[in-house]
Formats: sequence, C-alpha cells, structure tokens
Amino acid sequence: MSVMEQDDKPPLFRSWGIWYLIVAGFLLLQVLLYAFFTKHFS
Amino acid sequence: MSRPDWVVLLLTLTGIILYGVSRNRSSRNLEGYFLGNREMPWYVVLLSIMGTQASAVTFLSAPGQAFTDGMRFVQYYFGLPLAMIVLCVTFVPIFHKLKLFTAYEFLEQRFDRKTRIFTSLIFLVSRGLSTGISVYAPSIILSSLLGWNIYLTNIVMGGLLIIYTVTGGARAVAYTQRLQLFIIFTGMLIVGYTAVALLPPGIGFTDALRISGKMGRLNVITTGFNGNGFDWTDRYNLFSGAIGGLFLALSYFGTDQSQVQRYLTAGSIRESRIGLLMNGIVKVPMQFLILLIGALIFAYYQFNPAPLFFNQVPVEQVRQTAFRDSIGRLEQRHLLLQEKKRTVAASLPAAMNANAYDRSKKIVDELRSLQGEEEGIRNEVKGVIRTSGVKSEASDTNYVFLRFVMDHLPAGLVGLLIAVIFLAAWGSIAAALNSMASSSMVDLHKTFFSGASDDEQEYRISRRYTLFWGIFCVAVAELVTGMGSLIEAVNVLGSWFYGVMLGIFLVAFYVKRVGGHAVFRAAILGELLVILLYWKTGLAWLWLNVIGALAVVVMAYLFQLVQDRRGKSGDDPLG
Repeated sequence: MSVMEQDDKPPLFRSWGIWYLIVAGFLLLQVLLYAFFTKHFS
Repeated sequence: MSRPDWVVLLLTLTGIILYGVSRNRSSRNLEGYFLGNREMPWYVVLLSIMGTQASAVTFLSAPGQAFTDGMRFVQYYFGLPLAMIVLCVTFVPIFHKLKLFTAYEFLEQRFDRKTRIFTSLIFLVSRGLSTGISVYAPSIILSSLLGWNIYLTNIVMGGLLIIYTVTGGARAVAYTQRLQLFIIFTGMLIVGYTAVALLPPGIGFTDALRISGKMGRLNVITTGFNGNGFDWTDRYNLFSGAIGGLFLALSYFGTDQSQVQRYLTAGSIRESRIGLLMNGIVKVPMQFLILLIGALIFAYYQFNPAPLFFNQVPVEQVRQTAFRDSIGRLEQRHLLLQEKKRTVAASLPAAMNANAYDRSKKIVDELRSLQGEEEGIRNEVKGVIRTSGVKSEASDTNYVFLRFVMDHLPAGLVGLLIAVIFLAAWGSIAAALNSMASSSMVDLHKTFFSGASDDEQEYRISRRYTLFWGIFCVAVAELVTGMGSLIEAVNVLGSWFYGVMLGIFLVAFYVKRVGGHAVFRAAILGELLVILLYWKTGLAWLWLNVIGALAVVVMAYLFQLVQDRRGKSGDDPLG
C-alpha cells in the first residue's frame, strides 16, 4: 500500500463507497421522515 | 438593550477577537497563511465549512421564513449531501494531489491561463460584492431594531474581524469559527427552549407542533406540483431542492474558493473527505432545527399577542405623521383579533387529545381564517407605511426572530443573541476575506508580478490583500446602505455566476476532449445567457445554477467539435 493510499484510508469501513452510501441513505431516510412529519402534523 | 446585554455582547466579541489573534501560529509563508500548513483535523474542517456557509442571514432569516412560509425552505439543502459525495469522488483527490492553493490553479493546468484568470475574476467580483452585502444585510436589521447608526454597525459587522483574519490567516479563521459555532448553537437552543417554555400552562411541545402543523408551518416536504403541473417559479420544493440544490452546492463547495480553501487546509485527502461527508450528514438536520425554532415561535404567537408589525421602527415613524389614526385603527383591530385567536388556539389541544375530529377541524378552520385576517391587517400596515412615505422594507420576515428575542429573553441573553448574529456574520466574512486574498495573491499577483520574492514578502503581501478585501467589503456595505433589504440579492448574485463556474469545472473533470478556447467562449456565452434568463423570465434562481452549468458544458463541447473539424480542414478559427 502506497503512502497516498494509506493517507486516504476511510475510517470504520474498507472503502469510501460505503460512506457515500451512508450519506445518501441518511438523506433518503430524512426525506421519508420529513414527509411523515409533514403529513402527521398537517 | 440593557447594561447586562451590552456587557455580554462586548465580552463575547472581544473574546473572539483575542482568541482569533492568539491562534496566529502558522508559518510565515503562503501555505501557513492561507492553508494553516495543511494540518487541520477533519472536525476543524467540518466546523470551518459550516461556519463559512452559515452567515448571519441564516440565523436571522430562516426562523422568520418558517414563521411566514413554513419549513419547506429546508428542501433547499437536499442537494448538499449528494454534492458532498461528488466532491469527495472527483474534486478532493485532484485538488489535494496537485497541492493547490486555489481551485482556479487547476484550471490553468487543465486548460490555460486565461480561463484561470477569468474564473478567478468572476469569483473575486461576485464574492467581493456578496460579502459586502452580507455585511450590510444583518447590519440594517440590527440597526433598525436597536436604533444603532447603520454606518457604524457596518463597520463593527465587517471591520473588527479583519484584525484576526489579517494577523492569523486561515488558521485563525478556522479556530474562531469553531468557537463561534458553539456560541451560536447555544444561543439558538436557548431561543427554541424559551419559545416552548413560554407557552400557556397545559400546552406543551407536541401541542405547539400540532398547531404549527395545522396552520401549514411544518410543510417540510412539498412537491411543487399544482393544478397546472409543476410550478417552475416555486422556489423551494423537493425537486428544486434536490436538483437545483445539488448544482448550487456543487458550485459553492467545488468552485468557490471560500469553501475550497476550507477543505484544502485538511492534513490529508482523508481528513477533507470526512469533513465534507460529515457536513453532508449534519447540515440538513441543523437547518431543520433552525427552521423549527421559527415554527415554535409561530406557535407561541398563537397563544400570545404578536406585534402589529415585527419591524416596529417604521410603525413608530408613521405615528409621527398624519397617518397615525390609520395605524391606531389597525392596531385596535389587531388587538381584538389576537384575543380571539388566543381563545380559539387554546381550545385546539383539548379537542385533538379527545380525538374530536369535527371539533378539531372546525377550530383549525377558524384559526386559519383568523390567520388570514391577521395577514390582511399586516398587509394594510405595509400599505400605510408605504403611503406615509416612511422608508422601510416591505416585509418584516427578517425581524421575527430578533423581535421575539428582544421581547422575551432575559437581560444578558439578549446580548448573547445579538452577539450570535455578529459571530455568524464574522465566521463567513472572515473565510471570504481569506479566500479572496488567496485568489488575489496566487491567481493574479503571482501571475502578473512574477519577480523574485521570498516567503516573508509573499506573506506580507497576502496580509495586505486580506486587509484590502476587508476594507472593500465594508465599503460595499456602506455604499449599498439605503437600498433596503438585500438578503435575496446575495443568493441571486451567486446564482448569476455559480452555474457558469461549475460548468467550467465539470468540463475540466469530465469532458477531456474540450480545451481552453472552447470552454472560455462557452463560459462567456453561458454567463450572458444566465443574466438574460434572469432579467427576461421569472425563473426561480435555484434553476439558474443548473442552466448555467449545463449551458457551459454543452456549448464547450459544441465549440470543441467545430474547432476540431475546422482544424482538420486546416483552419484555426478559435486560435
């Protein structure tokens, strides 16, 4: 593993792809929760 | 403001300046001054990114926005997490590997010098003007509410931060932003808690949400579709937020040096990536909570009398004119309405708890009708202010938050919340000055004045550029004084340029065959197209970013095709 690759190792997971999925998934979850929130209180 | 408020305000502002000056431990060279020696951990990068984006307007305007229009403004941020992913995949590795100081350096390596200079100039002009307006926008609100001299407020708002920005550079900016955000969030939490704590006995947080929701203030998700299809002039909905917001966030975080410089201060690609991805995770909930404060303040005013007009200064001025009787009559009607609204609102939670659907519906209908009447009275007040010749903003939306703070927070905490507005402004303005200085020095000065200079000289010149841009922005704020509220102007100004800047970078990253001449011409035409569309159509400004970026990509590709074909036939028309 090169210095550059070691320097770019993601925390907790093996690849950055999992982090990207988490961020996108969290956004999706929020949209669903906010949609529920909007409907529940309207 | 009371004496304790003044003490808290002055202590907080002085403390921040001294703290900023004390963080002046970078090397006396460009890398130390502009990038904090590239050694920031991810959490400092994250807080710096957040502190740069969240200006005073964010905290002043967003609660008022929720109060008048509901929480749908949060959708504006839905594109941001997606943009963070794109940046981490494409922009960050390249910017770090090339060890850039500014994003525009990359454009010279990828295209040519003129494209770099052009983009850098677009950035400096747009950022310089919008930072000047960002100094003025909160100043006009504070000066109006507190009776302060606007010119002096501009100087405090945009001038004092110059002290630590000039001396400490990027490192001082990042560390002060960390402390500023802590104070800001503490202040906002106190306001949210106060709005709920001041509700009548028996009415709790959930009841406040129910009332706000029934009155349309918890409309977090809207689709933008009406009876006639999709409304392209609707500013905030799921689609404009996700698509327009994605392009805006990509432009802002990927091509605006004030943000690029924040993650270039990171110690490694990894630290940059974590900082950006965490921003993608926390930004939307943070904005949701800020808007929720506005919705809670709305609920509070269902049970308690609201001011006739949240910006009370013009109302007081009208009282000194021949129109005082008109205002007096409106005030009487407003008072009666408030009493009626309070009684009706108080009966809603009990009806909802008892699951009495018909009764609840009747109460909600009545509340909505009273709300409509109240808005009618407020419009009449605006009309009287206008007719009387008193100079004032047409809307009082931006005054809702601070009016609530001044009327309901105890002495000392009002001063803290006023300090919050200053600190929020300082965080974003300081980052802007630091970034404009870096682009002026690295993209322009070093290009046009290529004589030998050592690290110390470059460091000193960079400090002078920071000072110059600080003075420039305060001067812009003083010049625009008297032009009314310019809060929207910051976003509109950004959308004129951001799309085109993003288009240039998208071509650089993704369309390898396009060269400098083609992208340069496409950028100029794209800029003209965006400004033309803004003047000739009522298109919501979020869409201008999308159109600007796509126009540059498509036109650059077509220009390159023409150039290649003519090149093959022996001409060099674009040379």
